[in-house]
Amino acid sequence: MSSEVKLPRLGQGMEAGTIVKWLKAEGDRVEKGEPLFEVDTDKATQEVEAEVAGVLLKIAVESGEVPVGETIAVIGDEGESVPDKSKPAPEAKEQPSEKAAPEPVSETDTSGGSHSDKSVTSSPQVTNGGRVKASPLARRLAREQGVELGGLKGTGPEGRIIAEDVGRSESRPEAARPAAAAVTDVPQPAGGGEAEGVEAVPLSKIRATIARRLTQAWQVPVFQLTVSADMTLANELVGRARELNPDVRITVTDLLAKVSAMALARHKDVNVQFTEEALLRFRDANVGIAVAAPTGLVVPVIHRAERLSLAETARARTDIVERARDGKLTQRDLEGGTFTISNLGMFGVEQFTAVLNPPQAAILAVGATKDTPVVRNGEIAARPLMTMTLTVDHRAVDGAEAADFLRTVKTFVEEPALAL
Amino acid sequence: MPELTYRAAVKQAIAEAMRKDDDVFIMGEDIAQMGGSMGVTQGLFDEFGGERVRNTPISEMAIVGAGIGAAMQGMRPIVEIMYEDFMSLSMEQIVNQAAKHRYMSGGQVKVPLTIRTQGGAGWSPGAQHAQQVEAWFVGVPGLKVVFASSPNDARGLLWSAIYDDNPVIFFEHRLLYPIKEEVGEKLEPIPLGKARVVREGRDVTVIATGPLVHRALKAAEEAEGDGISVEVIDPRTLQPLDVDGLVASVKKTNRCVVAHEAVTRMGFGAEVVAVLQEQAFDWLDAPIERVGAKFAPLAFAPAMEQFVIPQPADVLAAVKRTVARA
Repeated sequence: MSSEVKLPRLGQGMEAGTIVKWLKAEGDRVEKGEPLFEVDTDKATQEVEAEVAGVLLKIAVESGEVPVGETIAVIGDEGESVPDKSKPAPEAKEQPSEKAAPEPVSETDTSGGSHSDKSVTSSPQVTNGGRVKASPLARRLAREQGVELGGLKGTGPEGRIIAEDVGRSESRPEAARPAAAAVTDVPQPAGGGEAEGVEAVPLSKIRATIARRLTQAWQVPVFQLTVSADMTLANELVGRARELNPDVRITVTDLLAKVSAMALARHKDVNVQFTEEALLRFRDANVGIAVAAPTGLVVPVIHRAERLSLAETARARTDIVERARDGKLTQRDLEGGTFTISNLGMFGVEQFTAVLNPPQAAILAVGATKDTPVVRNGEIAARPLMTMTLTVDHRAVDGAEAADFLRTVKTFVEEPALAL
Repeated sequence: MPELTYRAAVKQAIAEAMRKDDDVFIMGEDIAQMGGSMGVTQGLFDEFGGERVRNTPISEMAIVGAGIGAAMQGMRPIVEIMYEDFMSLSMEQIVNQAAKHRYMSGGQVKVPLTIRTQGGAGWSPGAQHAQQVEAWFVGVPGLKVVFASSPNDARGLLWSAIYDDNPVIFFEHRLLYPIKEEVGEKLEPIPLGKARVVREGRDVTVIATGPLVHRALKAAEEAEGDGISVEVIDPRTLQPLDVDGLVASVKKTNRCVVAHEAVTRMGFGAEVVAVLQEQAFDWLDAPIERVGAKFAPLAFAPAMEQFVIPQPADVLAAVKRTVARA
């Protein structure tokens, strides 16, 4: 008895996925629960396990995008014939593999007799005997994102394609919107080719997702509130906590995640999401941390942060940030966030406003801590101040509620002991 | 927290081990009343006497051989080879004896011997007194090899070397002896085989040993001005090597420079590059760069010596090559 392998729905709202690669070949024996193939959704790349044991009789869709529920392979008994109904998905776009890249003849053959398809490589690459010159990292990223290396322009030494050319240049959180806009605004000359001095970088899956979600967020009526907090005690606490927990590097971001969660627990009206039907209010404070991963902005989530100690928060944050940078996040890491923190303090940014992370109702933009003159008891003193700007979905939360929440966050940051 | 020089840190590890343990003793050329040619063992003779702080004849073969014998008999000897250049004279003892007895006796014999030595250029000692020869030993199964770059590391690693049941070659660097650092009141052993992230960074990892750790830090500061964030890692133990620590850093930064004062060719860095390309190939965004001494005997003339050995500017240039754009 053969059974069809269909593309599973790996998370809410997943309609399609891109098959990145098969971990088994046709004819291989497969055990139940063994990783079978890798799929790229708009949130993460993850392995999918076989649901039945048997022999992988046929791979119907080698690679490319397929809708959820599509038959992509057949598992059955040794020697069994494959029923012919499992046709390959017609809309599946073949993912270009390096071997499928156009033969070098299109660039080197000057005899004029070549019929190779020149249109595939619109911008000729620096090639080395027909091989596109790219760094190992760039090759891996291109493979994972389904980007054809031949279509990219290398900006590394000697024209080598490096990671940034594949998509890394857009990984900084604040660069997200302008970069996405720039590409769609590329002026197209009448001839249909590329404009002089403008390079059309194909959108990676994650880049397209960032663009779609932030455009969605931009339509939400929002307001912003800014406070600055005295970080004297917070810095002391982080320093002490590091001494007590030498195995994990505790940061101000961890403290912020922790106290934000504690503040959300007190201000349930902010731990919400707006929908057309109802306001969803969440019991748990699941705090997302904006991370600049090599492929683009991702926001993995620290679940139930209000229940974690500072060191546990740091451990959880280290884990998700590392996996975000390695491209190893799973769907679960990215789901369920009720609040987001975006910290650009390490870049020296003093203050900024973040764009909402929909469907969440609030995001906290954190700036650098800077020694600032302040008046204390009639005297001017230098204190380490850090700005925090809260962007709030006004459909879900009113100004006074948000201000009250932000005051609690500020109080907790300034006197972390009060968060207990 | 007390401040300690590298020199005093080495001495403290030796002295504390000798106070704790009668099995620990030290021998070498001129190390007793004179306190060693670099002054590291000054005061030990007065405290512990000639029985445990022993001068030896000028025979590196005999010094190491006697150390091996004592170690096999249950002592934990520390022997000093005045210049690492002279290790060549004791190679038979180190490579064919110290490194092999535990294996060839089926574990019946152990050789808990520590061989301390020092070297390094930068003060015009000429071609026979300034080489960096650590790579000779990293390829010998049965030996452990340590190269400390800071007072803290020197103290904690030497302690671990003394109490390791295998022969350990412990490299010190002549120019590092006077550097100072705050150290913990209490001597904390540092496990062999664990690298130290000296400086965190995002764009490129510099894996450096000995004096190049400090030169890499200088280069990193300058690079920062150009917006390049450099991570500096010191493996500290060359054998066993903290492969996981190095690979994790390179996977984070996607670029790497290896740097040591020894000659680049067949240097320790070559092994590191090989390991990284095996384990982090798909994370590399640029060829790994090597920084080391030029392939030439070290000159006596200071200007020529400086030309041969790697400088902060060489590390900086390599860092910039890894992040270069066409």
